[in-house]
Amino acid sequence: MRSSVSILAVMIFLGPGLYAAPDPPTAEDVAALRREVEDLKRQIQTLRDQLRAGILPDQGPATATPPAEASPVSPAPAPTAPALPGAGGNAPTRVQSLLNPAMSAVLLAIGTTSLKRESDANGFDLSEGEIALQSAVDPYTRVDLFLSFPSGETPEVEEGYISTLALPGPLQLKGGRFKNAFGKWNGLHTHAFFSVDRPNALVNFFGEESLATDGFSLSVLIPNPWDQYIDLFTEVGSALEGTSFNNDRRNLTYLEHLAWFFNTGPNSTLELGLSAARGRAGGSEALFQAIDDCGAGCAGLVPRGELQSAVNGVDLTYKWKPVRMNVYKSFLWQTEALKSRRHLDVLTNPLTTPSLDPQIVEASGGYSHIEWQFAKRWRVGSRYDWSGFPDDDRASERAISAVVRFLPSEFQEIRLQYKRTSRNDEAALRFDGERDDSQIFFQWIPVIGAHGAHKY
Amino acid sequence: MRPRFRMLLLLFLAIPALLTVDSAVAADKRLNVVSTLPNFGSIASAIAGDRIDLTVIASGTQDAHFVDPKPSYIVKLRKADLLLVNGLDLEIGWVPPLIQGARTARLMPGGAGYVDCSTGVRVVEIPLNLSRTEGDVHPYGNPHYLTDPLNAEIVSGTIAEALKKADPAGAQAYEDGRKAFVRRLHEALFGKDLVDLAGGAKLSREAMAGTLDAFLDGTSVGGSTLRSHLGGWLGKMQAVKGKPVVTYHKDYSYFAERFGIRVVEFVEPKPGISPSAKHLEELLTRLKQGDVTSILTRPYVEHRSTDYLAERTSVKVLTLPIEVGGAAEATDYFKLFDYTTDQMVRALSGGPSAAGR
Repeated sequence: MRSSVSILAVMIFLGPGLYAAPDPPTAEDVAALRREVEDLKRQIQTLRDQLRAGILPDQGPATATPPAEASPVSPAPAPTAPALPGAGGNAPTRVQSLLNPAMSAVLLAIGTTSLKRESDANGFDLSEGEIALQSAVDPYTRVDLFLSFPSGETPEVEEGYISTLALPGPLQLKGGRFKNAFGKWNGLHTHAFFSVDRPNALVNFFGEESLATDGFSLSVLIPNPWDQYIDLFTEVGSALEGTSFNNDRRNLTYLEHLAWFFNTGPNSTLELGLSAARGRAGGSEALFQAIDDCGAGCAGLVPRGELQSAVNGVDLTYKWKPVRMNVYKSFLWQTEALKSRRHLDVLTNPLTTPSLDPQIVEASGGYSHIEWQFAKRWRVGSRYDWSGFPDDDRASERAISAVVRFLPSEFQEIRLQYKRTSRNDEAALRFDGERDDSQIFFQWIPVIGAHGAHKY
Repeated sequence: MRPRFRMLLLLFLAIPALLTVDSAVAADKRLNVVSTLPNFGSIASAIAGDRIDLTVIASGTQDAHFVDPKPSYIVKLRKADLLLVNGLDLEIGWVPPLIQGARTARLMPGGAGYVDCSTGVRVVEIPLNLSRTEGDVHPYGNPHYLTDPLNAEIVSGTIAEALKKADPAGAQAYEDGRKAFVRRLHEALFGKDLVDLAGGAKLSREAMAGTLDAFLDGTSVGGSTLRSHLGGWLGKMQAVKGKPVVTYHKDYSYFAERFGIRVVEFVEPKPGISPSAKHLEELLTRLKQGDVTSILTRPYVEHRSTDYLAERTSVKVLTLPIEVGGAAEATDYFKLFDYTTDQMVRALSGGPSAAGR
């Protein structure tokens, strides 16, 4: 190396000398040459230093780094680094948990007081414990299992379904027990509610729990020229115990849900949903009660059990969240309206000539909820409920609620709700004759473990 | 009976139509790359230029921990050949529902299109003990590794490899793009003069090994040590080396290590936990010692706590971007550091700062 540098230097020295030979050099030429020589000497010295220090200057991008290497600088690997997909290859502490399903537990501690009605629900209660186990089964499917431990009742599988990860095309199939894709609220677990209670309309139409089925759900993302998110769900299965649909296996419940999602700006979104559920239902609880009450005269009356029942719904959700300070402020407005149409046997003339007459009962209901997040940990909301009853077109109720939510961290929430309900006479019959009621709810919800991210 | 048939019919009619539309989309030749965060997008576009169509999900002013998994992103993901993610659970709250919603095997972790950019990065602050009493801990370690520009060199390798695999016809272009990016990165970090003298690869190796200072001081070239040739961001930051700062979140660890500033306290008592009045009082006491001149904060966090501290001390609050687009000046990954180092030098050496509030 050194010799080649010297040869190069000699040639450079000689070059200008030979050139200059024909004319005698002027003083300026000599000075210029001297400067050049000094410059070259410096360059040679620099090259020598670099050689000694074991460094070589880059010769432009083409040879800067060995071409074969994926990353030109390979840092010393971390202490143990089994390359796990998605794990960054750096976390021996988590290897174990990657093989276990993600586990989490939710507690729902609830306090309820009704200012008028004597009810078993009044008082403090650990109303429910929920355990969630979630994991990919293999590259094709995943399982989500939610076990519920309601206070004083038998534990049950609240939801447990297998879903496909990568069917061809825009399809996703889900099988097992799941909350149906009817509107927005029905799919939520209690800890993800905006309030302590469930909206009246959902309770009256589907029961104390969400509308859920044991069956299949197929979701299709519909490609469209506007590149918008349009998701169509088709669900078939036998409904779990509820109000509007039988839960025996012979009578399947069918459901269609269309969710259409729009970005209305960088900070806001709008979602429109249409839902339709069809199934079979028998006599309602109120009807059986009425037959019981009328005594011997009604002894031979047996309501038919498999009559058509349908519930349709429309939902609209507006969300606002600034892109810049997204953790501190948000606004939500969610409205759902439901309409049910149910074939029903109705008890007529219970005192004189009792008989069961076929009727078609139509009822509607819904809610509108607004929520304002004014600080990282605080949200206030209000909900207006109106609802009929699917088995009695005369009964109806209305309610207004105020909700305060405090979320000390992502994993804990405290909710306080005041609710004032007023009912007409027919509805009051179902609630010990009370036409109106005020309730205060308190709920404390901690979540522990690796709780999966919620859908938008 | 009738609605039952109607639904099934609708479904069977719909499926073939949908599959056709899906394959029609795939006919476009340019590689579709979706990046969760702007920094990776900037690096990818520096490497690939016009060969890719790039979509970035989060904005530079957004807190990368808390992006909403809007369904509209699912539509974008469905068209993606590659999905670039930060990894290390930074996006745990929003990327998994998006990937699952996109229902595409190649974008699932482990799939050909899923590019975890943290691969090969030396991660710091991996917790030995996982407990949420420590706040929002990241079980795999501190995920803000791109605050060290040398990690961008590793990331550029990861991205280039993924691009080559997805689009073999462009392999040479991606390799040239990566080399040009790395060369530019070295010159920006060490200064062109020093890179010409010592070589970027050598400097990068020394810096990664933590022996850069010894190397610069111990090697003399042309009668002067290499240190006298140090320029770029590192050269600029020599003026404030060793200066103590308070940062809002624990997202300066890699930066501090590379540029030699000292993070002595955090405005958040624990990662992700809002400061309590008590913690602010403690910070106030600490700040009154007078050695700390600046609090470094981010565009997406609240100002109340930092303003409170600034009003009661002579400490300046400096809002600096962590992502491309987090400030008007930070238009790409290089400008991000040009801006950050300029502002920091000005603030920490006592001059006026444009980013101060």
